Amino acid sequence: MSPAKVTLNTEWLSVCGGCHVGIVDLHERLPDVLGAAEIRRCPVLTDVKSYPEADVGIIEGAVRNEHDRRAAEAMRKACRKIVALGTCAVYGGIPGAALAHSREEILDRVYVRNRTTKTNTVPGDEVSPLEKMVTPLDEVIPVDLYLPGCPPHAAFLFDGLLALIQGRPPKAGGESVCGRCRRTMSRTGADRILRLHEGVPDPDTCLLCQGYLCLGSVTLDRCLSPCPNNGVVCTGCAGPTMQILAEPNRDIRTEIGDRMARLTKIGRDDAVAEIERNAKTHYAYAMATRMIGGKSTFLIRKWIAGQEG
Amino acid sequence: MAKTIAIDPVTRIEGHARVRLDMADDGTVAEARLIVNELRGFERILVGMEADRMPLVTARICGVCPSAHHLAAVKALEAALGIAPPPAAVLLRELLYAGHYIHSHALSLFILAGPDLVFGVDGDPAVRNIVGVVQAAPEVANRALALRSLGQKINEMVGGRGIHPVTAVVGGTTFDPEPEKVQVLRNMADRGLALARELGRAVKELLAKRIAERPEFLTALQQPIFSMATVKDGKADVYDGRIRLVDAAGAVKAEFPPAEYETHLCEKAFDWSYMKPVYARSGGQDHVYRVGALARLNCADGMATPLAQAELDEFRATYGRPCHLAVPQIQARVVELVAACEKAQAIAADPAIRGDRRVPVRFRAGRGVGHVEAPRGTLFHDYEVDDKGIVRGANLVVATQQNYAAINASIKQAAGAFVAGRGDDRLLNAVEFAIRCYDPCLSCATHAAGRMPLEIEVRRGGETVRRLGRTA
Repeated sequence: MSPAKVTLNTEWLSVCGGCHVGIVDLHERLPDVLGAAEIRRCPVLTDVKSYPEADVGIIEGAVRNEHDRRAAEAMRKACRKIVALGTCAVYGGIPGAALAHSREEILDRVYVRNRTTKTNTVPGDEVSPLEKMVTPLDEVIPVDLYLPGCPPHAAFLFDGLLALIQGRPPKAGGESVCGRCRRTMSRTGADRILRLHEGVPDPDTCLLCQGYLCLGSVTLDRCLSPCPNNGVVCTGCAGPTMQILAEPNRDIRTEIGDRMARLTKIGRDDAVAEIERNAKTHYAYAMATRMIGGKSTFLIRKWIAGQEG
Repeated sequence: MAKTIAIDPVTRIEGHARVRLDMADDGTVAEARLIVNELRGFERILVGMEADRMPLVTARICGVCPSAHHLAAVKALEAALGIAPPPAAVLLRELLYAGHYIHSHALSLFILAGPDLVFGVDGDPAVRNIVGVVQAAPEVANRALALRSLGQKINEMVGGRGIHPVTAVVGGTTFDPEPEKVQVLRNMADRGLALARELGRAVKELLAKRIAERPEFLTALQQPIFSMATVKDGKADVYDGRIRLVDAAGAVKAEFPPAEYETHLCEKAFDWSYMKPVYARSGGQDHVYRVGALARLNCADGMATPLAQAELDEFRATYGRPCHLAVPQIQARVVELVAACEKAQAIAADPAIRGDRRVPVRFRAGRGVGHVEAPRGTLFHDYEVDDKGIVRGANLVVATQQNYAAINASIKQAAGAFVAGRGDDRLLNAVEFAIRCYDPCLSCATHAAGRMPLEIEVRRGGETVRRLGRTA
């Protein structure tokens, strides 16, 4: 056993907690990690409430309010390396879809125009006010390592944590979800875009080839492709691939449109128009990141306003 | 002079929160508040999304009980469309859910509350965690991790993914129960049941020991209030059935289908917390009520399976019926852990899972309410959908917000018994322990708000005199 264990802090911001559950879900391998690292602060596991100094700080979740921002800054100060864990921390995740709405609209729907709420009280005392936007972590503090995924599969988490402990780069590569999908790609006569609930897809053929808007080809594999392998489209939960992020002229909708046009009888523009019409669904996990939002043709607010009338 | 005590953050719970205790001049606790400081606004975010994606998207409300949201969402949409999934699909969803219950209750029992049971509430905070438990009681800890892992593997195999499952689709399930998978599921369920019984005994012994050490756990922490839970033919059921509301004496005050939740429940916001408490309307009044494992045992006539029924008999013999004690909620989870393992075993052995698994679906304009018993209590999803299958309205009532009023009252009781008039910060954990007994999940409750480490802030005359977050 090495004399000095790697010390570890974790923190969660505006999140569901699934990435932390993912760490606990290393199950029987958890003691391996615990044996190699010394966990100092981890709100779900330990009773340490401050931010002790640590080699590594893992942060789950995006910044939604001032409390999140201060927690992120305190972690940055206390930890030598910061890991953005999960799609929310890296791209904003589903809570990032609040990008399409003002704070007032959100508070109104939750506390005022709400079916079962009999008060008109909007919390304002004692609670940290919402910031205008949901902000991915690296727009608030410098991040040293990104591990998106909703949550990342245990295989990536385990390797990622061990890599940090051993001081080596993690093995996670740049493959798309298609890489581990068992389905076969072949040109078909599909001429209509299908939603998840429509028909029963053939179990062996690529879902996109069958007319389903599967985002596997434009989504980073941090999951081992369970969705298409279980008959469900990839919804892009680990965020876009590097090609989409890095090149200004490529985007989720155009890439899927091009591919669909090659593989089916569905026209490129029809597929693009469908994705734009339901942009809130198809960009749900990554709309809050500047890497997507900064593309000059990405008009998410306009598309969403169109659908919501 | 009045003072305020703060615990910030409350730790070993699912989500972020702090506790504020306002002390009166005579040193007693005037008011106790659990302040939840996160809001994500799902009720607004979901509007405008494709309805068929709700089971996938709303799982992201909570990484602790994603399967509950996954299933409540799919049931709500099916209610809106007036369709029923085939029996095999229902069985497979229940199997997924049994796996989830094992996983979730094991988390609560062994990883969140376990350290308090093993070390006592005033144990050294530096070791009072799962790492400490692994070192102090490796046998129990490793079995607990193994049981939790089995639960998650069942959930993952049937649900496609463990955290944020995907296979429940409107009209059925996409999971194909191939024979070799079913054999694996059967083996896991068998092993799970053996482990659950063994660990259940360990939990009950430790709990009895802690109660013997501090009888105040029973005498100070009790609240005679209403209970609400789902029953099917009178038996506790976590996937489907009617919702039963019983009063503090155990008398049934209402039994209704989930679609009528709006008539029986109302939310009332505080201006000091993002989480909204919920009250049950009965006899022209709004009542504080509890949901979750203890409420389910209080509402049900019995359990559907024999070993769980034996656990229930033992529970009732020890703590009475209805039970209004906060601490035995831990043991109520043992009853349900055994029930979930028995359920998984029965479904995995049922040839009916090989039947048709999907019915055709076409969206039309409508509204539907779906519910399940999430591990922490009754969960409602309510959607309005248009004829193109786009969500036009969404309302969510989750477990922990329904326990909110009861949790605040337990905090006050715990603070009165363990904090007021004492200078011992170690007992602050007793306040957190009282909260942990409810296994609150603030991620859920903050679909609306999220997060729950705890800080206790003690205030007197409006000024903070102590901040007990072990922030030093």
